[in-house]
Amino acid sequence: MIEIDRVSQVFQTSARSDHLALSDISLSVEEGAFVSILGPSGCGKSTLLYIVGGFVNPTSGIAKMKGKTITGPGPDRGPVFQEFALFPWKSVLGNVMYGPRQQGVRAVDAEAQSRALIEMVGLKGYENFYPKELSGGMKQRVALARTLAYHPEVLLMDEPFGALDAHTRTRLQNDLLNIWERDRKTVIFVTHSVDEAVFLSDKVVMMSRSPGRIRQIVDIELPRPRRRTELLLDPRYQKFVVDIERMFDDDDEAGPGA
Amino acid sequence: MTQRGALIARAAPVLACIGLLALWQVASLLLKNDSFPTAVEAIRAVPAILGDKEALINILASLRRMAVGFGVAVAVSVPLGLLMGRSRQVQAFFNPLLMVIYPVPKAALMPIIMLWLGVGDIAKTLVIFLGVSLPVIYHSFEGAKAVEEKMVWSGAAMGLSAAQRLVRIVMPAALPEILTGCRTGLVLALITMITSEMIARQSGAGNILFNALDMGQYDTVFAMIIIVGAMGICLDAAFERVRARLVRWSEPQFDMPLSFS
Amino acid sequence: MRPRILPTDVLLGTAPIALVLALWQGLVSFGFAPVTLLPPPGIVFGRLLQQLVTSTFQQEIVATLIRLFGGFLIAVVFGVGIGIAAAASPAINSVVRPIVRVLAPLPKVALYPALLLLLGFNHESKITLVAADALFPILLSTYFGASTVEQKLIWSAMAAGTPRREILFKVVLPAAMPSILTGCRIGLVISCIVVFLAEMITSTDGLGHVLVTAARTFQAVDMFVPLITISLLGLILNGLLQAVRSYLLRGFPEV
Ligand SMILES: Nc1ncnc2c1ncn2[C@@H]1O[C@H](COP(=O)(O)OP(=O)(O)OP(=O)(O)O)[C@@H](O)[C@H]1O
Ligand SMILES: [Mg+2]
Repeated sequence: MIEIDRVSQVFQTSARSDHLALSDISLSVEEGAFVSILGPSGCGKSTLLYIVGGFVNPTSGIAKMKGKTITGPGPDRGPVFQEFALFPWKSVLGNVMYGPRQQGVRAVDAEAQSRALIEMVGLKGYENFYPKELSGGMKQRVALARTLAYHPEVLLMDEPFGALDAHTRTRLQNDLLNIWERDRKTVIFVTHSVDEAVFLSDKVVMMSRSPGRIRQIVDIELPRPRRRTELLLDPRYQKFVVDIERMFDDDDEAGPGA
Repeated sequence: MTQRGALIARAAPVLACIGLLALWQVASLLLKNDSFPTAVEAIRAVPAILGDKEALINILASLRRMAVGFGVAVAVSVPLGLLMGRSRQVQAFFNPLLMVIYPVPKAALMPIIMLWLGVGDIAKTLVIFLGVSLPVIYHSFEGAKAVEEKMVWSGAAMGLSAAQRLVRIVMPAALPEILTGCRTGLVLALITMITSEMIARQSGAGNILFNALDMGQYDTVFAMIIIVGAMGICLDAAFERVRARLVRWSEPQFDMPLSFS
Repeated sequence: MRPRILPTDVLLGTAPIALVLALWQGLVSFGFAPVTLLPPPGIVFGRLLQQLVTSTFQQEIVATLIRLFGGFLIAVVFGVGIGIAAAASPAINSVVRPIVRVLAPLPKVALYPALLLLLGFNHESKITLVAADALFPILLSTYFGASTVEQKLIWSAMAAGTPRREILFKVVLPAAMPSILTGCRIGLVISCIVVFLAEMITSTDGLGHVLVTAARTFQAVDMFVPLITISLLGLILNGLLQAVRSYLLRGFPEV
């Protein structure tokens, strides 16, 4: 579904020094897979996601979607940003309807679809609220609904639950899994949390810092559908989490930026 | 590469000036209107005005009044604005009064003030003072209101009195905003000065402008516009230098001048 | 959520206005100021009410309003247009920026004689002056608002399939709206001030002209009336704009 082929990204920082944010990244993501990207802060996870989204052009290498080179954003790849990025001048319904309307869906149909989606993410009754009147978790649900509304084939999620409290985070993880198990969309999911990555994913891509490289890819062979309470007691789950955390610990001992 | 970029950035306003003057030249040549001299003719008339002793003295006297009016206004308005920003009561007390005064054209008070105080320096300086005060109060107020509460608390914890907190914490923290207000005020001082001179028709740059207009000396009219324009641009640029130096620590919000006029 | 207005605040706020009026009345009553120089507030407001119903005075108000709105609307159209364009295109930006740097601090009122010569003594010259004065605050706030639009908002819209050329109207313009309206508010007050001054400097009608006529004949009462009228107009227009603002910005935090 998505092929990232020897992608590197150089940023120009102050005056003339160049900063290598991503170095020679190659990765392929199959259709319907749930892939998490895990790595220390500043290793280029967001940058990689933006490249797949078509928001940022890689300095070298190419990213392809279904065999076609990605040159810009498109409704086949839907981003969900950590900052929510809801349109403050639109209500919840207006935000969710934006995508379908942009795709040329008739207003009545777009509204009906959007209302259904809002109900699905558990925000029935909040259709006419403005983003400022919602809590962080609710905003994140709206952001997810807004992206799902235009039926992207791939979801690009950048630490979507990073700013939420533990309880809300758990609930949204469950909701996301339910939605994913129903639609089987391809998901690329950036996170800091090892638990989250193991719980959600088929595959965890571990990155190392500066310049961002892929360190290792771990296949999470745990049965689905997954129940959080069962999984927490499952020794296989625990082993994945511990193994991955150990690998990052080793990384730290090697020294920063090494 | 970046050095050349900086050079171009510096030269750009000069280029813009030249471009605007060239535009003027072309327009006047195309229009061929008697009352619209070309840029070259107007620039030629500038030395004549600045060479005229009486005109020069008049203009300098205007500038002196402007400086005094501006100085007094800043001295009064900054403390008032800061107090309003930090105290709800002070804000509630002054806000409605200021809202009522805000849309009153200050230079329009000139005839009334002249009626009371005559046409002396005091009347003219007072009008400039009034013109400058409001934006300076407003910006100081906004600046003080935006000061992080925790910063003031930590000052209180260190044992600073309320007055000390205002001077040692709130004022420096609000300085960028205060200086933005002062910059606006400075341009406004010049505007108020010229407008009130246009209305009072006694002396000064505004008076020279309209006398020349009445007498049909169109070169002088346009030369005077160049002089006044240059004063505005130079004052603003000079103040911007001072401002940039004083608040080097703060990130520039606007690198285009945001002035009232 | 707007902070509620407390009754004590209202009391505090009316106090200085009442004080000014009392002082004003006191100055006249106790003979510190002769009535010819400082007519008492009662007489001034009586005269104002009396004038407001006469059709001649209403015509003066209309003349002023035409110039005010004409200039203000031109300033809004050009200010918002140029501001957005400068934020959207680096090429336009590099041209607009230095020109604005030069023109913004220039005292526009100095151009008034030139405008009179070029456009004549009617509405046109005054409208142009108002527009020139109100333009820059609107342009600068628009530019500021449009150039600080959150990148991710634009990305979200692009991912939803918005073509690049529509981004300007569908995202940048609405996202910059709070800034734009702040600029409009400043521009409106400036328009009120400038139109009045222009009418004072040279005109045959309008509120500013009323003041000048009264000043020539030393009619202090009639000098106060147009001043209070323009100040009231300013307050009313500001109130209207505030209403538009709270409607347009109902989704934005802290209007
Ligand atoms: N626009 C930019 N200009 C210059 N440098 C940038 C830019 N964007 C990112 N970088 C640099 O690239 C590196 C990777 O940034 P990125 O945001 O992708 O990291 P990240 O892994 O998402 O970090 P986090 O987990 O904190 O979100 C960082 O070192 C950052 O400084
Ligand atoms: Mg990131």
